[in-house]
Amino acid sequence: MNLRESIGIALGAIRANKLRSILTLLGTIIGVTSVIAVISFVEGMNRFVSEKLINAGANVFVVDREGFVTSQEAFEAAMKRPIVSLADGEALRQGVAHASLVVSQLGARLPVNYRGKNLRGVDIRGRGAGYDLVDDLAIAQGRHLAETDDARRQMVCVIGPEVVEELFPGMDPIGKQLRIGDFRFEVVGVTQEKGKIFGQSQDRFATIPVRTFQKLMAERGSVSIAIKSVDQSSLPLAQQEARNIMRGRRNLRPGEPDNFGVTTSEAYLDLYKNLTGGIFVVTIGVAAISLFVGGIVIMNIMLVSVTERTREIGIRKALGARRRDILTQFLVESTTLSLAGGAIGILIGIGLALLVGAVSPLPAAVNFKSVLLGIMMSSLVGIFFGSYPAARAARLDPIESLRYE
Amino acid sequence: MMIEIRDMFRTYEVGEEKVHALNGVDLDIEANEYVAIMGPSGSGKSTLMNILGCLDTPTAGSYRLKDKEIRKLTDDELAQILNREIGFVFQTFNLLPRADALHNVELPLVYAGIRHEERRRRAKQALETVGLGDRMKHRPNELSGGQRQRVAIARALVNRPSIILADEPTGNLDSATGEEIMVAFERIWRDGNTVILVTHEADIAAHARRVVRMRDGKIESDVLQGDVRARA
Repeated sequence: MNLRESIGIALGAIRANKLRSILTLLGTIIGVTSVIAVISFVEGMNRFVSEKLINAGANVFVVDREGFVTSQEAFEAAMKRPIVSLADGEALRQGVAHASLVVSQLGARLPVNYRGKNLRGVDIRGRGAGYDLVDDLAIAQGRHLAETDDARRQMVCVIGPEVVEELFPGMDPIGKQLRIGDFRFEVVGVTQEKGKIFGQSQDRFATIPVRTFQKLMAERGSVSIAIKSVDQSSLPLAQQEARNIMRGRRNLRPGEPDNFGVTTSEAYLDLYKNLTGGIFVVTIGVAAISLFVGGIVIMNIMLVSVTERTREIGIRKALGARRRDILTQFLVESTTLSLAGGAIGILIGIGLALLVGAVSPLPAAVNFKSVLLGIMMSSLVGIFFGSYPAARAARLDPIESLRYE
Repeated sequence: MMIEIRDMFRTYEVGEEKVHALNGVDLDIEANEYVAIMGPSGSGKSTLMNILGCLDTPTAGSYRLKDKEIRKLTDDELAQILNREIGFVFQTFNLLPRADALHNVELPLVYAGIRHEERRRRAKQALETVGLGDRMKHRPNELSGGQRQRVAIARALVNRPSIILADEPTGNLDSATGEEIMVAFERIWRDGNTVILVTHEADIAAHARRVVRMRDGKIESDVLQGDVRARA
């Protein structure tokens, strides 16, 4: 029969009993909210992490002291290992035949200032030659760091456009002297803007020669060495070569474990996928339980509604409503009810995801699929848990229903 | 023949006991008759009315409505008969409390599958016929008893059924208002409708042109009184 009329009746009932409706819908709301929020959150994390990792470039692996650490114990053990030095980096550069690029890296967060203007928490990068490829940087003004800058431990830097904006508004920064920590550096280049990835600025950094970095700020710091293989198929070969060189340099006997790490981006991705997989399983559990409870509450309220409206059902039948008309009416009502809960859940879920995205560096991405999923879940709950009360309504005897007080 | 009832029985089982609410009834009603069915409570008149209204089916015997054997119909066909052939007027009005007068009158047309605009138009017309053209947007609790019953009459008429079946239509009204309602039935009958009235009040039954009296599940008497009350 008339779909619009049934939806109207359901919405009218929701409006008439606001508190009762909210309590009725709470389970559905919580179920849908958690699904939407977690999917948005995980989706955002996925993008963030894969972009971060892909940023490092395809076919890149890293040699460093810690390797791929997943526990406190492993970390403490790794801290006792010998550091990876610039000399190791040089050896790898000469020894790994299948590498197209070997870049030594150091890093810190330090304040940067220019004539009293202070910029905190700038990403200070010590980099060897080839950093522009690994960090994916293009020059907008001036020049890149050169090999000779590194060899001579020059006090020069290339800065990101956000640093320019903050410290040199309306000025040409090239040739200016700024302070990184306690040291004066000359700006030789400015990179092109990369924008933000989920709230994280990619333009707030200063890159200096890695040897300069080590000499001034990290005498005993362990270097991480990014190695890019010639192509996809030579990635395992390049890794093996790097391992052999490092083991040779450290005089490890056969059978002794590596005392350094060789890590590909896949390792991070795998761990990450395991993590988010776990989050998903927990969410599905929470959502299933709250949707089940929500469904039972809806069923209960629909049974009450059928009883309250026994006479109405009798009247409708006496006026020519078929069983299927009554069945449809109550199914549409329960589905409208649960869909209303679903809609509220979707809104709260999106709100939560956006809130998390706004107040933390963790990004959130709301996608159309998760909204669709929320709508589907809630309508299924309505249909499934509404069918028993609806069937009861449809079976009512018109004579007795008309007499019902 | 509009209605043909032959040798009809209706038996209820109450625990071990069998109660014969209808115990061999034969009754013919022609189109455009105005019949009152009378009798004390327990006489079987309510059972007869339920069966005439297709809300109940007999245990034995035959009920033909416009040459259709009602016992042989499926649930959906019965619903269609209720929708197209029968217009109920109840003692307690039985309007939907949350719907306004117009919507209440529209309901039979909803189940007849008639489109929205057409429904509106016909429901308005029916309400105007019973003199409630200015009360369409009122809900039942905003109307007097007589007005409610007139909404119910408009609802019974709106789908142009074959029979108007009224069960104690004045039972919940004061006598002046009851008299108004009986005037309305008189006009409905004059317009060519078949009207069947179930009542235990003699002065209400006096409006009809034929009075069927029931006792113990059987017809006790069946009297024409058309000569008593001449047509105006």
